[in-house]
Amino acid sequence: MDDVLKLTKEQLDALREMGNIGSGNAATALAQFLNRKIDMDVPSAKILPLNEISRLIGGPEQQVMGIFLKVMGKLSGRFILLLPTTTAVKLLKALMPGFESSTPGKFSEMETSCMREIGNILAGAFLNALSVLTRVPMLNSLPSMAIDMAGALLDSVISDNAAVSDYVLMIETSFIESQENLRIHIFLLPDPKSLDRLLEILGVK
Amino acid sequence: MPEVYPVGMAEIRIAKAPDALAAYGVGSCVIVAMYDPKSSIGGLAHVILPDSTGVAPDRLNPKKFADTAIPLLFQTLSHAGVFKGNLWAKMVGGAEMFPPTEDFSLNIGKKNSEAALTAVKKLGIPVMATETGGTIGRSMVFRLDSGRISLTVLGESSKEI
Repeated sequence: MDDVLKLTKEQLDALREMGNIGSGNAATALAQFLNRKIDMDVPSAKILPLNEISRLIGGPEQQVMGIFLKVMGKLSGRFILLLPTTTAVKLLKALMPGFESSTPGKFSEMETSCMREIGNILAGAFLNALSVLTRVPMLNSLPSMAIDMAGALLDSVISDNAAVSDYVLMIETSFIESQENLRIHIFLLPDPKSLDRLLEILGVK
Repeated sequence: MPEVYPVGMAEIRIAKAPDALAAYGVGSCVIVAMYDPKSSIGGLAHVILPDSTGVAPDRLNPKKFADTAIPLLFQTLSHAGVFKGNLWAKMVGGAEMFPPTEDFSLNIGKKNSEAALTAVKKLGIPVMATETGGTIGRSMVFRLDSGRISLTVLGESSKEI
């Protein structure tokens, strides 16, 4: 599969369902972790032109926190969480009693480490569900975190996926915690070379 | 009113004073600006990857890669009547947005800046200024009346090159 534009509706539906299973598990993990009720948007499997990706989350200059991991194994890809820094502060408050955010947009080593761990837990739960579904073990790398403009965070993550296609396949969902309006966007980008194998396993090749 | 035209990922665009060209939220991508001060015509290439080697020619979008996009930007300016001897270049971007972990480093920003510099030098166009590398995203507006580039980064005051 060298061009995601060739994906059929049936294939996209299968990918979205896979996203549904993965993010359902991740939402459960987050809910247990925070001891709160977490709702989830219906995931989408979108084929987006390179230009429009950062529009998904409020424009290329929107300040966000990005937590990025590589998916390793026979099915490889990239996994990225994007959340407003205000959401990160709320998550830290819920997890670290007595937490007071110092400078907005600046996080201490401890806070950074805590956010990376949240990324680790969500990605681990997501990929676990996918491993069970596909019977292919998937591991996530250690997460890396940065706070910057959304466009700048995303371009480094998607560039390799865009070598042959001008479009990127993204499986996207968001989590909502209604009480405090926490929003976390999750994106999964299968590597182009893994997409064929993934579709075969899902039975929609 | 002068227009500001945004140039997105894998796009090339040229314009003339008093208009301006812009690129917003640039991370590991490299923006190459070329400018002719005599005609006040300039252009931007928003490059996302360093090298097109290995990409099948029928699948190749030359606007994506430093080695193909930069000659294409130059060609586009030439067709607009710009003389090569007048042109200079500036470069912005090529940051490493995510700190490397024990498991990986993306390192794409550095490769992009190096490849862009090589491609510009190969054309024999002088490089006037660069604002590349580092770990922060940048937005830029390229003013074609002066050839100046204003840069903004999150939480810091803007800078000009």
